[in-house]
Amino acid sequence: MSFDKNTNPLKLHHLVGDMEADYIYTPGVAGDKFFKALRDDEKFLATHCESCNHTYMPPRMYCERCFSKLDKWVEAESTGVVDTYSLAHEDRDGEKLAEPVIVAFIRIDKTDGGIIHQLGGVDHESVKIGMKVKAVLKDKSKRTGGLNDIDHFAPA
Amino acid sequence: MMTIKKRVAVIGAGITLFRRRLKETGKELSYHASKMALDSAEMNLSEIESVVMGTAPDAFDGIHMKSENLLDGAGGTGRPYMRPFVGGGTGVFSPIAGWWHVASGLFDTCLVVAEEKMSPVQPHPQTAFRTIWDPFTTRPLHPNLVWIFALEMNRYMTVHNIPKEHIAEVAVKNKGNALDHPSAQLAAKITVEDVMNSETMVWPVQRLDISPPSDGAAALILASEEVAKKYTDSPVWIDGVGWSLDSSYWTNRDLYFPQYVAEAAKMAYKMAKIDDPPKEVSFAEPYDPFTYKELHHMEGLLLAKKGEAPKLTAEGVTQRDGKLPICPSGGLLGVGNPIAAAGLMKCCEAFWQLRNEAGKRQVDGAETGVCQAWGDLMQVGTVTVFRR
Ligand SMILES: [Zn+2]
Repeated sequence: MSFDKNTNPLKLHHLVGDMEADYIYTPGVAGDKFFKALRDDEKFLATHCESCNHTYMPPRMYCERCFSKLDKWVEAESTGVVDTYSLAHEDRDGEKLAEPVIVAFIRIDKTDGGIIHQLGGVDHESVKIGMKVKAVLKDKSKRTGGLNDIDHFAPA
Repeated sequence: MMTIKKRVAVIGAGITLFRRRLKETGKELSYHASKMALDSAEMNLSEIESVVMGTAPDAFDGIHMKSENLLDGAGGTGRPYMRPFVGGGTGVFSPIAGWWHVASGLFDTCLVVAEEKMSPVQPHPQTAFRTIWDPFTTRPLHPNLVWIFALEMNRYMTVHNIPKEHIAEVAVKNKGNALDHPSAQLAAKITVEDVMNSETMVWPVQRLDISPPSDGAAALILASEEVAKKYTDSPVWIDGVGWSLDSSYWTNRDLYFPQYVAEAAKMAYKMAKIDDPPKEVSFAEPYDPFTYKELHHMEGLLLAKKGEAPKLTAEGVTQRDGKLPICPSGGLLGVGNPIAAAGLMKCCEAFWQLRNEAGKRQVDGAETGVCQAWGDLMQVGTVTVFRR
């Protein structure tokens, strides 16, 4: 065993490799309906389990509590309440950001779930847990049928 | 040696379609199979005490730690949940893990689910295998899984002087058997000539010798003897389990015989008190992602002498109405190969066969069935013995 102090692996005899693989992900039965309704109709769709009285946001095609198949779709609101938030001062690679980004978990009204997204239109001094917010969607021409069709949530 | 506290029964089974691409997510596929299994046992999720999720490399679905992603679809939320993993051997290893959950006395019920969604990885699931090789001793040659198997197949054919036509019979039989399986992706009536004339991928492996990628899920419900009897008059018993791994160095073992399968089979037969496997086993579901692998594994399972499986196949012994039916489901070559789900599909088949619920696929007088899978770095054998 060599326990030499060496913080640079390139100094050792080495090969450079990678684990490349590309993917085509599909959102599934429930996800397909949710993202298309958001993109095309600006609607937040949820599924409801009658036996558990639980409304899933994002929607699922089954109830994870009782395993009922869920085909009761309900229209939720595009509003919600900040359940918790954090202030990211660095990006995921550890680089300093010019301005802290506010990341929040928003509990969506009329559901038992929520969405994690960024907050905008509020500075990091005045953001508060419990504040009411509303989804701000991207311009229709720029939507792709994904999470970032929501540009951010802003104070309602 | 451990003490087996409880005899373990299978009381329900479920399966999705196996297809090249399915719209459902892995979670949704897991849900469909699990729900079908629960319904078949007339059980609610609340009666499940533990969950085992078998799923092969994360690199297929493209989600690291994918068993965590699959948790809610497999009914794992709020329950003891674990993912056993031995690569391609996982499908038959997951009911083994479920078995020890119940046999140990820790739980009275266990839902065993296996899922694979291979369609996301581009340009082909083979891409996911590029990095399983040792970066210094193998990877510089840019190996592809098919050419590694072709080396093993050629060694097997040469040691025993096996004509390729006898091996081709496996594809004809299994794709034909799959015509009666409602989940099948690759059912077809083909001939030995079709196999022999199909495109050569890496000689001696030709296109129809191989089972292509797939999406799918399967599930089993396990229960302790006392609890099983509350749900059904016809439980299917898991009477033997075994698994074994050989050296991962190909250059340090002889490829013509899968010693790892033999070790796993001996462990399972000993537990099930089987002394003469060809006489006592009514049918078997050995792992058949390639034609020669069914034969290789029949020999590993000690159901045929070394080099004799191709002859038995050519003579029709392994047909569904033969003396020793092999892959009555249609196997991976016929039903499809969503890796872990394909292994568990074999255990579902054993359950249906032993309950006389296999419909057109039914083997007469089925009393004892053996299922086996293989994988990891092509050196793991996993074996389960089922009895009615
Ligand atoms: Zn529910």
